[in-house]
Amino acid sequence: MAMGAEQSIFALGLNHHTAPVEVRERLALDEPAIRRHLHMLRHRELANEALLLSTCNRVELYAVPGEGGTDALLEWVRGFRGPRGESLEPYLFRHHGRDAVRHLFRVASSLDSLVIGEPQILGQVKEAVRVADESAALGRVLNALCRRTLHVAKRVRTETDIGRKRVGVGNAGVDLALQIFGSLDGRRALLLGAGEMGTQVAHALRSGGLDELVVANRTFERAVEVASVEGGTPISWDRFDEYLARVDIVIAATGSPKPIVDLAMVRTALRKRRYRPIFLVDLSVPRNIDPRVDDLDSAYLFNVDHLRQVVDQGLASRESARDRAEEVVEREAARFLKALARIEVGPSIGVITRRAEELRQAELSRSKRLLENLDEDQREQLDALTRALVKKVLHRPLQQIHASAHEGDELRLSHLLQAFTEEDS
Amino acid sequence: MERLSYLLPILVYALLSIDHLVPRLFGEVVRSNARWIALLGTVGHLVALLLAVVAHGGTPGFSEALSAASLGMMAAYALVSAGDRMRPLGLVIAPLSTVLLSTALVVPSRTVLALAETGASPWLPIHLGLIFAGLGGFTLSFAVGLLYLVVRWRLKRKQLSGLSRLPSLEVLDRIQFRAMLFGFLFLTLGIAAGGIWAAASLEEAWTLDPKVIFTLLIWLWYGVALQVRLVAGWRGRWSALFSIVGFAGLVFSLLAFNFLVSGWHGYGS
Repeated sequence: MAMGAEQSIFALGLNHHTAPVEVRERLALDEPAIRRHLHMLRHRELANEALLLSTCNRVELYAVPGEGGTDALLEWVRGFRGPRGESLEPYLFRHHGRDAVRHLFRVASSLDSLVIGEPQILGQVKEAVRVADESAALGRVLNALCRRTLHVAKRVRTETDIGRKRVGVGNAGVDLALQIFGSLDGRRALLLGAGEMGTQVAHALRSGGLDELVVANRTFERAVEVASVEGGTPISWDRFDEYLARVDIVIAATGSPKPIVDLAMVRTALRKRRYRPIFLVDLSVPRNIDPRVDDLDSAYLFNVDHLRQVVDQGLASRESARDRAEEVVEREAARFLKALARIEVGPSIGVITRRAEELRQAELSRSKRLLENLDEDQREQLDALTRALVKKVLHRPLQQIHASAHEGDELRLSHLLQAFTEEDS
Repeated sequence: MERLSYLLPILVYALLSIDHLVPRLFGEVVRSNARWIALLGTVGHLVALLLAVVAHGGTPGFSEALSAASLGMMAAYALVSAGDRMRPLGLVIAPLSTVLLSTALVVPSRTVLALAETGASPWLPIHLGLIFAGLGGFTLSFAVGLLYLVVRWRLKRKQLSGLSRLPSLEVLDRIQFRAMLFGFLFLTLGIAAGGIWAAASLEEAWTLDPKVIFTLLIWLWYGVALQVRLVAGWRGRWSALFSIVGFAGLVFSLLAFNFLVSGWHGYGS
């Protein structure tokens, strides 16, 4: 009956790595369905504990299997069918013990997500935990696992940059803007030239919370077009310098062969806006903004190479953040299993002491005749003596069990538990 | 005896300083709770300072002045250091507070001349409390100003790697300005309180006291800094530079004036 902690947690399911979207959408479960399944799993004793996670990218079951073990759970899952009535077998992943723990940690930390570092998954995991908890499907093992999972996800998020860096020229522009302004709330931007690159940055700024966008283009119709898509105001090309003083961000991306924003323009604009900082992005080659603008006190000018630099750093730091995050997950998984071993030996030790007590009682009742000749006092003494004997005999083995659980020595632990719990053969 | 009660704050400040100077030495626990640790230190510090003042019969001296300055700085840090991005401030403030407090513990505690003359007075804690609250604000303004210049320098030099761990320019500028404003208001009130007290109890020409004159100059300096910012838009870099120079003046005044030049704020030999 002693099951190693390694084997007690089982994960089974499908996700965007293993199954195409047609299969995933077919299997996706809403909350009532999850409650139904959890109830059923417990009711039919397929699982002692269960957690069901269903998002658009995954349907995953985490369970402590019941009497039937993992086979019974697999059998149950086989009852489900794909969109064309096909078997789900090829789409399924299964993880045991440490792999299952690691998998849940990675999922919650967004290391397994389609877009690594995206923040929604943690909320979805929390939701799944809440539902399982309310359905009374979490026992000692999964409760501990869930608590640990949320802790690990939080740790990964705060200790690594995994959720911080975005990729792409547009987002690089947003990152720089945020470094200057702190927030895009209440900020205005002027887009010069309605080409692809410029629009991309403008779009990213808009999604980042930019308040107002003004679009100027040599052909006015194109300005109107882009402005309507991005929710901005088109202005006529020859009026753009009037707007320089009114905006906080300037994005220049025209095909003009010579600078269109010169030093004097920006200097005047800065004076008008009383030296509140202005952030300029020059995406054009050849450049559209005089590079000397950057020498002005409150002007921060970046060209396309600088943005590229930010993008590359984003990629590099994301890569290293990912390595760091994986390390955290790995360490936490090992730590959790050790803790779990301690949780798990509790019941086994109960079994051992109970069995010893039964044996003692049995032996005492076998010598009933002898005992009848003793008076109350002597009987009590004998009782105490046998009790002490049992306790002394069990002392060392129990100590060893605790120690090996504590050290995470699975092999020794299972041998010890076996020696004391196997039925007489 | 009362110096023993400084054990907690000095240990806490030293811990924070080391944690900032040698990253990753203490691990995550200290790092993520730096603000609460600082708060614990300041509360312990306040208690220790009050004990010290009481032990002196209500007439604190140079040692207590340094201690109060250190307290003002740390309190300012504890107030604004929420979140990882403000962490670099601690790199300036924690060691500064530690050094000031350590100095406070080794210098002999001498009372200023004016106090020897007038004895304990309820005006004293008001005068000092306001002045050192102001000093806290100016210290914060100084540290934030430094950080502003670092971030600005890196943006101008296009050294963009890892920049997103530092606060944004506008946030730093805002805090720098507000801290300076706070410092200015409290310094103004502190000077006024000192003036009222002196006018009531000292008969000689206290307005010619060198420390009073120097402090008025510093007050003027900060007043100009705020004025040009509000009127002419000298924000950002200029404002930061103003607060750095002003702070240098304050530290000079705190450490040197009471010794080098005799006057009502001087310490008797």
